[in-house]
Order: sequence, then C-alpha cells, then structure tokens
Amino acid sequence: MSGEGELALAERALAHLAGDEAHVTVTRERSLFARFARSAATQATAIDDTSVELLCVLDGHTGAASTNQVHDAGLADAASRARAAASAAARNGQGAYPGLPRPAPVIGHDGYDEATAALDAGLAASALAAAFAACRDAGLEAFGIWTAGEVTTAIASSTGMALTDAVTDAHMTVIARDVNGRSGHRASSSVAAGDIDAAALAATAAARVTRREPEQLAPGDYAVVLDHAAVGTLLDFLGSLAFNGLAHTERRGALCESIGSAVAAPCVTLVDSTQIPGTLPRSFDAEGVPKRPLPLIENGIARAVVYDTRTAALAGTESSGHALAPGGDPEGPEPTNLVLAGGDAATLEELCAPIERGLFVTRLWYVNTVEPRHALLTGMTRDGTFLIEDGMIGRPLHDVRFTDSALRMLAATEQLTRAQRLVGDADLYGRRFAKGVLCPALRAGAFRVSGGSA
Amino acid sequence: MQRTSEQLRVSGGRVDGVECASEEGVGIRVAVPGHGFGFAATREATKTGLELALARAVSIARALPGSQRRGPLPPVLPARGHWASACEIDPFALSLEDRLELLLRAESLLRGDPRIVRGVAESLAIRTAAAFASSDGAAFTQERTECGGGISAYAAADGELQQRSYPSGHGGSVALAGHEHLIALDLPGHAPRVAEEALALLSAPPCPAGRTTLVLGGEQLALQIHESIGHALELDRILLGEASYAGASWVSASDVGTLRYGSPLLAISADATLPGGLGSFGWDDEGVAAQRTMLIEGGVLRATLSDRQSAAAVGASSGGAARADGFTRQPIVRMTNVSLVPGEGGTLEQLIAEVPSGVYMETNRSWSIDDRRLHFQFGTEIGREIRDGRLGRLLRNPTYAGVTPQFWGSLEAVASAPAWRLWGLLNCGKGEPGQTAHVSHGTSPARFRDVEVGVLR
Repeated sequence: MSGEGELALAERALAHLAGDEAHVTVTRERSLFARFARSAATQATAIDDTSVELLCVLDGHTGAASTNQVHDAGLADAASRARAAASAAARNGQGAYPGLPRPAPVIGHDGYDEATAALDAGLAASALAAAFAACRDAGLEAFGIWTAGEVTTAIASSTGMALTDAVTDAHMTVIARDVNGRSGHRASSSVAAGDIDAAALAATAAARVTRREPEQLAPGDYAVVLDHAAVGTLLDFLGSLAFNGLAHTERRGALCESIGSAVAAPCVTLVDSTQIPGTLPRSFDAEGVPKRPLPLIENGIARAVVYDTRTAALAGTESSGHALAPGGDPEGPEPTNLVLAGGDAATLEELCAPIERGLFVTRLWYVNTVEPRHALLTGMTRDGTFLIEDGMIGRPLHDVRFTDSALRMLAATEQLTRAQRLVGDADLYGRRFAKGVLCPALRAGAFRVSGGSA
Repeated sequence: MQRTSEQLRVSGGRVDGVECASEEGVGIRVAVPGHGFGFAATREATKTGLELALARAVSIARALPGSQRRGPLPPVLPARGHWASACEIDPFALSLEDRLELLLRAESLLRGDPRIVRGVAESLAIRTAAAFASSDGAAFTQERTECGGGISAYAAADGELQQRSYPSGHGGSVALAGHEHLIALDLPGHAPRVAEEALALLSAPPCPAGRTTLVLGGEQLALQIHESIGHALELDRILLGEASYAGASWVSASDVGTLRYGSPLLAISADATLPGGLGSFGWDDEGVAAQRTMLIEGGVLRATLSDRQSAAAVGASSGGAARADGFTRQPIVRMTNVSLVPGEGGTLEQLIAEVPSGVYMETNRSWSIDDRRLHFQFGTEIGREIRDGRLGRLLRNPTYAGVTPQFWGSLEAVASAPAWRLWGLLNCGKGEPGQTAHVSHGTSPARFRDVEVGVLR
C-alpha cells in the first residue's frame, strides 16, 4: 500500500467517480494457510492482496467493477467500467435499487488480535507439531489445516460514508485417522490464533477413533445428538434457505408464510449478532450499514428475515445490515453471524442420557438442499458417528446419509448444551470472509436416516 | 496472471447486475526438499514484490514441520510456446447493451404467469492470460476465453416451489469459446418451454419411491461423472492428501489396471485437448503438456488424474491435471474434461423405447456424495415417467441414490455420438484456501437398471 491506508485508497478511488452516486470498498487480505496430511506439512500459502470494488448507481441501477491494480490508471479504468455498466443497465428504464445508504453510527468490536495479524509461521508450526504429537501418541495420523488472516475493509461513498473495519480470524481443523480409515474430527475458530489449542483439538479428534468395527444403521427416524459442528452446518444452510430477504419476498423462502408462527421448539432461540462474545464480529455489512443484533427465531417463533438495501426496498422495509456485496448480492442477503442460544445441559453425556436408542453425530458432510421451500437437506455424517444406547455413546457406526428438514429438526429439538462453540471453516473461497455459527450441541427427537455407507 | 470477467444478470424485467472484475498478480510456488510446498501470492509484479513473495514462500515452507517422504519433483520436458483457446466472437469487444438486450429478451419470455415468482437470465465472460516460468526451464504463455449463460424460471404456489433451467442449472452452460457459444444456446427460443415446465411441475405428482430403470439426460450425467468418477480418481485424494477437507477416495492407487469400476460399456476419458472444454489448456499449471488419457476402459480402471507430486509418489509421470484458481492459489490436482465415451445406444428416444417401466431425469438440482465418493444422492429439476417405451407424465422432485461401482455396474446403454455434447461446470470446489475450478464433461444420455429413485424422505 506504500503507506496509504485502506480508507485513503477508497477515497482516492471514489474521486474517479466524482459527480456520480458511487460507493467504493477496499479490502486487504493478509493470510497464511498451513495444510497437513499424514502428519506432515503439505501446502503452505501466504496471500497479500488488495481489491477495490467500485459501484456506480444510475436511475435505480447499479454497475460494479473491481480491480486489484491500485494505481490511478487502474482505478480510473475500473471507474470507467463501473460507470459504463450502470449506464448500460439503465438504458431500459428505472431500476429497483433505492439508492446508496446514508452513513450511520457503527458499533465497535473486539474482533481484532495483534498477535494473529502478525501471521507468524512459527505459530502455525507449533500448532502442527502439537497436533502431530497428540495423534502419534494415539497411534494415528493427523490431517487438517491451520490458518490465520487479517482483513481490513474500508468504505467511502458519495453519501458521505468513510468507514474502516479491521478483523482477524484463525481456524484449525484436525482429523485423526487410523490405517483402516476410521477418523475423528475437531475444529476451532476464533478471532485470535492464541485461542486455538492444537493439542486439545487433536486429542479430542483422536478420542473419537475407536478400535471397534463400525456397524450399519438401517434407514429410519432416530433420536439424535448433534455435536456443535453438525448443528453449525445445519444452521448455516438454514441461514440461506429461511432468512434470505430476497427469497422471502419472492415467496421462495422456507419461512415465507411463517413469520410470527412457531417453527421450532420453544427452547430454540436464534439471533444474528456480532455483539455476542465468541462470534467473528464486524462493524458493518458490504454496503456500510451497521451490524445490529437481529432476533430470527425467539423461543421457537419465527421473527424476521434479513435484508440488504435492494431487497429491503422490494419488501418495503429497511436494510437490516446483511448485504453480502456492494449494491446487494444478486442471490440476496444472508445472516453471517448466527448464534443459537445455549440450553441447560452441562455435557454431551447429559444430552445423550434420555435416549434409549439413537445416534451421535460429530459432523455433517456435503450437505445440499433438496427442497428449498421446506429447508429439506441431504448429506452424510463423517468423522465419528456412534450409536447411543441406554443413554450412553457406544458402538461406532458407518457414516449415514440423512435427508431431513432443518426446520423439522429444530422443531424436534429437546435440549441444548450450555456451552457454545464457534463453528467455522477454512475453505475461504475468493476474498477471505471468515464467518461461523456460534452454537451449542443439541438433542432432537427426530433425525431421518435415508441410507448408509457400509 | 491477468483475469478479466463480466457477469451480467437480468431478473424481473430489469438488469439485476453488471459486474466487471479484473485482477492481476503473481503466484510463486517453491518445493523445499524435506518440506511441503510453500506458496506466496502478490499483486506487486515488481522485482521487489517478487523477491518478497519468493522469500515468504520459502520461509513458510521451511518453518513448518517437514516430511522425509517428499524429495524434489521429477523433471518434465520444459514447456515453451504460446497457446490460446478458440474464440470466434470476442465477448469483451461487444457492447454491454447488446449483450443485456439478449438477456432481457430471454427473461421476458419466462414471465407472464403470476406463479412465476422469479425469472433469471445471465451470462458470463472470462478471459485469463497467464505466463508461466519454472526452474525446470519452462516458459510459456496461454490465454483462455470462457463464455456462456443460461435462464431459470422459479414457480411457486400452494407451498410448492419448482425451478426449471436451460441449458443447465447452476449458471447455465459455459464453454471455452467466445460469444458464439451464448448465441448458439438460443436462450429466447427455449424460454417459453422452461416457464411452462416450471409451472407444470407445481401440480405434477411426486417421483414414486422404489427401484426401477433410470434414464439420465446428459447434463445430470455430467454431474454424476464429476462426483462419482472424476473426484474419486484424483490421485491426491487417493493418497490422502485431501483427506481433511475434500475427502479421500474409495479407490486405491494399486487398483489401476484391475478395478472394475462399472459395466463393460463404461469408458471414461480425461482430455485437456478437447476444443470448447473448460478443462482444456496448452499446459497445466505445473508446465505439463495437455494430454488425453483413458481413465476407464471396458469398465476397468486404467489411470488416475495426477500432478507431478502425486504421480511421483506412485512412480508414474504426471497426468497433467495440476490447476490453480488464479494467482493467489497454488496448483492442485483437478479434473480436466472428464467425459463418457459415446456408446452405440442410438438416440435418447431409442434408449427410452426399450424401457417398459422407468423414470427419466434431467437437469441437476441437488447433489451430495460421501467423502470417499461412494454413496451419492442426486435430485433433478424434472422427471418423467417412462411407460411402454415412451415418456409419460411429469414427475416433481425426482431423486435417485446409489453406490458408485454398483451404479456404474448397472449401466446398460449409452447413447451414440450424435447425442454427445460438452457440459461446463463452474462450481467445482476443492482446496484450502478454497479454489473453484471450471471443468467440462462430455456425455450422451445413458440408461441404468435397478436404481433406487424417489428417496426424498
């Protein structure tokens, strides 16, 4: 950046759209990834890149252009393309975009950690070494990833926005695996790399690898205890299927006739909030609209969906601060800081205690939507599926396929753990945007197993 | 590497988005003996910027716990020259207005009935120019132009939501070609049928549950190949290098030459030289020349998809399948164009004519497979009953499930060459940090016996 800060760069880019209604976002990512397999480092990746997104608004239409060339010629070219895009879009009459949001006070957060931002490869090395040692002690091999990143976002707009937000995040996944392919999983995400205890992750993952031969579970409905990682995956899908304001307005959403109605068990309260400790907070969304806590399901009652500026105008309401892209993502807004309130169970064992025969699921894999209107999902269990018998986690099972509605599972939820964990990932496609679901483990009375994998 | 893209989208009679993106930068990968790969990316293509990136790549590789298993990469013939994909009509030379007009016309033909709650017409154009140099002596340039698009109609009524797309779901059909590919798709010509089918599906009966003969259209078959053959044969997965994220494979390296993957009718090629295929190039991102390899012949596994590192681990030469998603990502094993070789089953109609009772499915809507690429479940946008050798009534929410070798073992007919075409996929995810690969699969419709269908619940 040659000493120029992200906000100064955003304002310099905005100057290339002087006279236009315009919005500029500058995002700088510095990140480090350390992958490992078979208890050896395999791929290390360091990224340092800055992208500038320019949005031009004309007659209710938006035109967007992005570049990572931050010299004036590069910015001028991008500005020209954004203006041409808006002009081309506007040729067919007035559009639906209501105009750029005005500046509003944003709430600060503690989502930045200096030590994490240092991207110390030594920290990654220590984490990998600890995971390798713990797995070696258990006679297993370690697979996974350690990553940390610093992302600084600045927004300048013709409506007077001048915002900067710096966040850090770190994530580690450890899969412990034996020679027969039996595996256990544990992952941790946090604002600070120092919060990640690699040895503990590996020990927990290793403890889920049993020596016993897995058994096959027949298709059917089972009582289930879903560990935090499995709950997080379900809620992440529900976020896009049920709370997307565009899909909701277009009658495609899973809650489009259910706001104000019971859609989950009374013990289920789901909010989108960056203010709750343990999340990966941000001050504002992609349009610069402040993040505010938003109850989505309260004591089982559906309360709200989320909006960006464009979809809020379609619905006749205000943006809730959930834009995924400047001007709004074409697929609509989504919650990015889901928090499922914890319950009263002190341990996983307490959740399992009432189950006569059911299953314990560590995590879900390759989940996909079957019927969006009903939040019907399918996917596999992975890295540790066990039978619960007489209230105890016991025999290992082959992975199973489930095909069930995320809403039906929430409706059948009976109890949740007090402790929540932040469930995130390290795939991080495109520009790094770390997010996660803060959630407890839960017990549900119904989980539909549609197939097995012997 | 320089990459420029333009994504246009129309919905509800309005331009919903015009997004132009450009990026350029340099990625440097180093192989440090006794350690894993180190990779650093920078947009500062200056001497100082490159030296800093190189130092970073070396330092992070050395910092991490090493492996005695990995030595230097085996040498390859140094690649030299220039390669460019065919592009008759340069999409970037056309006006945005003209391209939007095509989409506006197509999308307008999706609407009219109030039960159509959303219509979308979209197009995509990408140009990637890359220069590659390696310490092996390789130095080449290549340029790829991708172009295409599609339409989708969403119909909703009485708590039911149905989607119909053309020519495929998930963003339409994109090829390694110019604007001529988008024109040839004739999106406006297909829009009325797409809308009619979306509406008709609202009141269609659900796909019945049971085991029956299944005929798959080419687009769904492309994804079936992608998930249950292409990914399963990536050698890095087979060797457990991707076990933590993408998963492993039910195939082992020693299965090559002996494993029966499917019926004798199953023949699968990996061809990076295929004109129009999104997985085509002059050289892969490790400097290995594009090649055509038979992965499966006569139903028997013959080869895997590999890069230099994974191939060396099994004592083989690279299969030329190392690809990176832009300058900020290091190359990993990816599919090229993994295709079903056409059979002798005639036309789709002839495949169906031999079925007393069954189901026909086309256009992918949902997909899921386990981390060994063995147990899968797919859903398509549309199904049709087959009765006495003819297509019958529409079926909504069709799904089918199976186990990879059993499913491919039940392959009993593949349509002939005139029914074969390429299908592009834009959303193949793998790697950490995540990489999205663009690949194509050539297919003609095929028929399978005794498949589990109607597995919604």
